[in-house]
Amino acid sequence: MITQVKNPILEIHDLTVSYDQSPVLWNVDLSLPSGKLIGILGPNGAGKSTLIKAIMGLVDPSGGYVKLFDKTLAEVRSRISYVPQRESVDWNFPASVLDVVMMGTYGKLGLFKRPGKKEKELSMESLEKVGMHGFANRQISELSGGQQQRVFIARSLAQNADLYLMDEPFAGVDMATETAIFELLKEMTAAGKTVIVVHHDIYSAVNYFDWFIMLNLHLVASGPKETAMTEELLSKTYGGKLNLLTKVSDLIRQKDFNPLKN
Amino acid sequence: MEDFVYFFTFQDSSIAFVVIGIILLGVGSAYVGTYSFLDKKALLGDAISHAVLPGICVGFILAGEKNPLFIVSGAFISGALATFLSSWLNKSTRLSEDAIIASILSIFFGFGIVLLTIIQKSGNPEMAGLNQFIFGNAIAILESDVYIYGGLAVFIILCLTVFQKEFSLLVFNPDYGRAIGFPMGMIRVTFNVLLILSVVIGIQAIGVVLMAALLITPGAAARFWTDRLGVLVILAGTFSAISGVLGTYISFVIPQMPTGPWVVVFLSIIALISFLFAPKKGVLSRYLSRRIYLRKTHRDHLLKLLYKGIEANKPGLPIAEIHEAFPFQKTQTKQSIGNLSKDKFITQNQLVIELSSTGRSEAKRIVRLHRLWELYLNEYMNIAPDHVHDTAEKLEHLLTPEMEELLESRLNFPKLDPHQENIPRD
Repeated sequence: MITQVKNPILEIHDLTVSYDQSPVLWNVDLSLPSGKLIGILGPNGAGKSTLIKAIMGLVDPSGGYVKLFDKTLAEVRSRISYVPQRESVDWNFPASVLDVVMMGTYGKLGLFKRPGKKEKELSMESLEKVGMHGFANRQISELSGGQQQRVFIARSLAQNADLYLMDEPFAGVDMATETAIFELLKEMTAAGKTVIVVHHDIYSAVNYFDWFIMLNLHLVASGPKETAMTEELLSKTYGGKLNLLTKVSDLIRQKDFNPLKN
Repeated sequence: MEDFVYFFTFQDSSIAFVVIGIILLGVGSAYVGTYSFLDKKALLGDAISHAVLPGICVGFILAGEKNPLFIVSGAFISGALATFLSSWLNKSTRLSEDAIIASILSIFFGFGIVLLTIIQKSGNPEMAGLNQFIFGNAIAILESDVYIYGGLAVFIILCLTVFQKEFSLLVFNPDYGRAIGFPMGMIRVTFNVLLILSVVIGIQAIGVVLMAALLITPGAAARFWTDRLGVLVILAGTFSAISGVLGTYISFVIPQMPTGPWVVVFLSIIALISFLFAPKKGVLSRYLSRRIYLRKTHRDHLLKLLYKGIEANKPGLPIAEIHEAFPFQKTQTKQSIGNLSKDKFITQNQLVIELSSTGRSEAKRIVRLHRLWELYLNEYMNIAPDHVHDTAEKLEHLLTPEMEELLESRLNFPKLDPHQENIPRD
């Protein structure tokens, strides 16, 4: 069940991605409307993070392409903000909360230039939006998981983008923080921003998102809640890996070269 | 002593030059090294420093003398080759990074030693002193060399300062850097160039074998003292400069004494002091705070014992009975009794100990936390009443007033714990 839209904010065309030459995403083809809160769902190892990384150009696809705002990534990079997984960085790095949030202003600042008063103010505003302004000078190693997550979200807010891609922003977050973050994301979409979120919990997802992308190595569904969030599609997404796809992956891995590479 | 005064008053301008040079190169390499330490790439620095040896030898053969320009360029090229090879092998083979670095280090260094032996056999009179590149000799540095090494060090320090935000991004979150469009590949290459340069400037003074210590140890030692990047870098630079100057001094006092090993000795002393005595992260400080905590738990347990006495209609307990309750902890128990009476939590009447009114409410607080936690475990986590005591025994010392409030409201101000004992309140 894949719903394609006109004038999509994001268009993915036949995207195939492989790690160590074994494919982790097969022929994903979808288009997304703007101004929506979009959830990417799927079991562990379904390729959810990989899809986001491929959109951000952090992994090279072995086939297909991605278009954002009908342009290539390089042309519209400043309008897109990426929130990586919290575990992907070493939080023992000697930096304060404000230091990390200010990284959100680096994109517009460019190389060489140092962040000044304007960037600092913008970062403080972003921290205030996630309720962390009291922590600006705290060392990041002293934060709890939920606080780290909010710092990452504040950093992406400081980018002032139109499209947000968030990798598991609700992982390791307590219930109160989860609700607060969700309210913030809803405000953002109400203001016309588009937010795409990788999410692991189906039960809360039903209440959160208005558009769903269901992944399990291939695209199972993409569409508004009513059409994509059905029992049949859910069991198709979570009902174990596709046997044949996994077998083909193994077959490709055993080759001495990547046969899918263009 | 005379030597000491002569050296540190810089009457000899050549000594002053060497000292300035060693401070610059120490600060420069500690600065770069701190980033590569934070990036968990400490071994790469070691590989590079060993890998510059063949370059030095080739530079010497081509120049026919100890021409610093040839030697620095040769060292840089072979360091760069080693860096490139290790990242290429990492990308295109399935070898693990540590295996790659270990092989590169030994292959390049072995090849360098072969070249060095050939040069020594060649009978070139200029080759005397080439050995110094192995362990370094700061005193033998000529004034003209200081310009080259010092100049490069200043260049490194400036680059790192200008690119501070880029290099922090590289270490902390390179994926994010790529996502916002920064050329992270180029930034990585720039950083590696600075890393190689910082090795190259140290070869004459410190030597190729021990240069890695000057890169990594200052940052590692400084990390014990601070959580701020700015302070970290300054501390690392200071540690490195101090050790460099002291090592040079030893080389000056004892002729033929190589500088590198002595610099490493002083660095190690600084690192050891940091490891032992740094506040918060040092071994001693952690040991002390654990002891203070253990003392507090013992005190808490004693208060609890007295309170349970009250519950059993014994308003005071004889000292002998208290000691019996804590077998094999006689000194600790004495200490706790001393502390508690000093804080006026208990009063001592002949050999009987009683809780004062403040002691009583403190004892109540601990018992309350213990029993609240037991009830919470039992009601919310379905743990049987006979399994809840042990964790409560530990958590009663940790729970904060906010947690207590939360527990009280969650459990709706309960009267009894799972063992049907009263939960005391003031």
